[in-house]
Amino acid sequence: MMVDRMKPGERLVAVLMGQKPDRVPVSPFILGYAAKVVGLPIGDLYTDPKKSFRAQLLCAEMHGYDSSPMYGYAAVGAWEFGGKVGFPYEPGQSAPYVIKEPVESEEDVDRLEVPDPKTAGSVPIAMEIARQCYAMGLPAVFQSGEVLTYAGNIMGPTRLLTWMIRKPELVHKVCKKVEEFLIACAEYFTSTFGAERCIAFAGGPIESNKLISPKQFEEFVYPYMLRIHRKILDMGVPIILEHPCADQNKNMPWYRKLREECGWRGKYVWNFGPETPLETQIAQFGEHDVIMGNVDPPSFQFRSFEEVIMLCKENIERGIKNPSGYILGPGCEMPPLAPPINVYAMIKASREYGSYA
Amino acid sequence: MKDEILRGLTDSVVSGDVEKCMEYAKKALEAGIDAYEAIMEGCARGMSIVSEKYEKGEMYVPEILCSAEAMYAAMDVLRPHLKAESIGTPRKVVLGVVRGDIHDIGKNLVKLMMEAAGFQVIDLGRDVPNEKFVEAVLREKADICGMSALMTTSMIFMPEIIRELKKKAPETITMVGGGPLSQELAKAYGADGYAKDAAVAIRVAKELLSRRGGI
Repeated sequence: MMVDRMKPGERLVAVLMGQKPDRVPVSPFILGYAAKVVGLPIGDLYTDPKKSFRAQLLCAEMHGYDSSPMYGYAAVGAWEFGGKVGFPYEPGQSAPYVIKEPVESEEDVDRLEVPDPKTAGSVPIAMEIARQCYAMGLPAVFQSGEVLTYAGNIMGPTRLLTWMIRKPELVHKVCKKVEEFLIACAEYFTSTFGAERCIAFAGGPIESNKLISPKQFEEFVYPYMLRIHRKILDMGVPIILEHPCADQNKNMPWYRKLREECGWRGKYVWNFGPETPLETQIAQFGEHDVIMGNVDPPSFQFRSFEEVIMLCKENIERGIKNPSGYILGPGCEMPPLAPPINVYAMIKASREYGSYA
Repeated sequence: MKDEILRGLTDSVVSGDVEKCMEYAKKALEAGIDAYEAIMEGCARGMSIVSEKYEKGEMYVPEILCSAEAMYAAMDVLRPHLKAESIGTPRKVVLGVVRGDIHDIGKNLVKLMMEAAGFQVIDLGRDVPNEKFVEAVLREKADICGMSALMTTSMIFMPEIIRELKKKAPETITMVGGGPLSQELAKAYGADGYAKDAAVAIRVAKELLSRRGGI
């Protein structure tokens, strides 16, 4: 097994700069798992920025992986726009969840106000974690989408999906307000830290083709996503971590079009779900962007160490062919209950099969 | 005339047209069509087409939810006219999202497809404690217990529920589904069946019942 010649931060920066690191970097998309590792309830990871930052930092140090602390969750949007979320303090829970949606009727749509990012819902927590990252020379990560997932959390996924057919104008009204909010968030973070020190992170499950068609993606996601990305790139944010959550194979042409219409500016890190073959991603984005792929997340929880090593090996052998760089990671958040040895399996697999020497 | 009305019901369920669906339901009653036949040969046939289209990727959840609205609107018109002798004894399904998990779109789609297929669904909702599944199965003498989970932290309750059911209601068929589940995991959990989505769930349920000699 190779001996590391680079430090975690250096390895990731090398890939993002288009250079070859000593070996494949590992970004295990860890949130709730970090709380488990340091003996905290998962809820603390989402409510207490100091504990959250420390847990994520120690977890990265213990395992030796390359990504740094961040903040975000899939139920985002409800709290920020005036609703209520619950935090994962009970058995079985792994992430914040919506308790009360701010939009429960048609009238609520017009009443919905675009909140001030400085005080809106979870943004102050994300900002505090970003401040601690910044102080240590790490990137400040802010959440920049996806719009339809925010809208789904604001009005409830069933209402959103039904209104997409019955009352599309109301869905567009909410999406427009989300767009305005996300751009304001980006301005808040970039003006605080400087755009060059920021990374935008976007992702969400409601855009998945398990729920919506590519045609609906075109109408309800793409125009907003394009405007937000253009703005963020105009601000000078150098890196966008884009996580098309779950099966989004049929949306692939829109993600490609997004890059084309943004003139391939900035460096994108694509983290598709395990349903999307690495070869497809390389064909679409390989000439410009980094691919972060995309081992099946539940496997980290229920498979053996040897099996996880083999899954990572296979992923590395396919992903390392990406000409613009590759990072080993799961296709969504690392299961909080994954045995630590299976997180270590990623590092070990990178050392054994991911050397660039 | 009868065929035209039943076809009208089917088509308006598929297109999610609530008004038309109610109109055809009323027409069915006016024409003396048995309400149960109108539900099964009109509405349920429509949902079956919807289910096939979803499986083929020709329809997505927004359209399915509209079809469901249309189907339930027609059923509201037809249900008061159901005759007990035409219904028979429907198969009972206890359905719920396991403890700690509030993601219920998948479970709701399964419920919809099952009701359309003539099952009686006892919907326990979401974030359901293990013992509630077992209690409901015993109380209802359910043929099937369906458990759904979207989180890797909540799916771990499924084997506990299945173990309890195997002890206390061994005849009940256990089925699991949801994002992090797979055929392999379902087997490891001891479930009788696994369905990757709502459309498949109906097929699997019918197959398992048929194997058990119940359908």
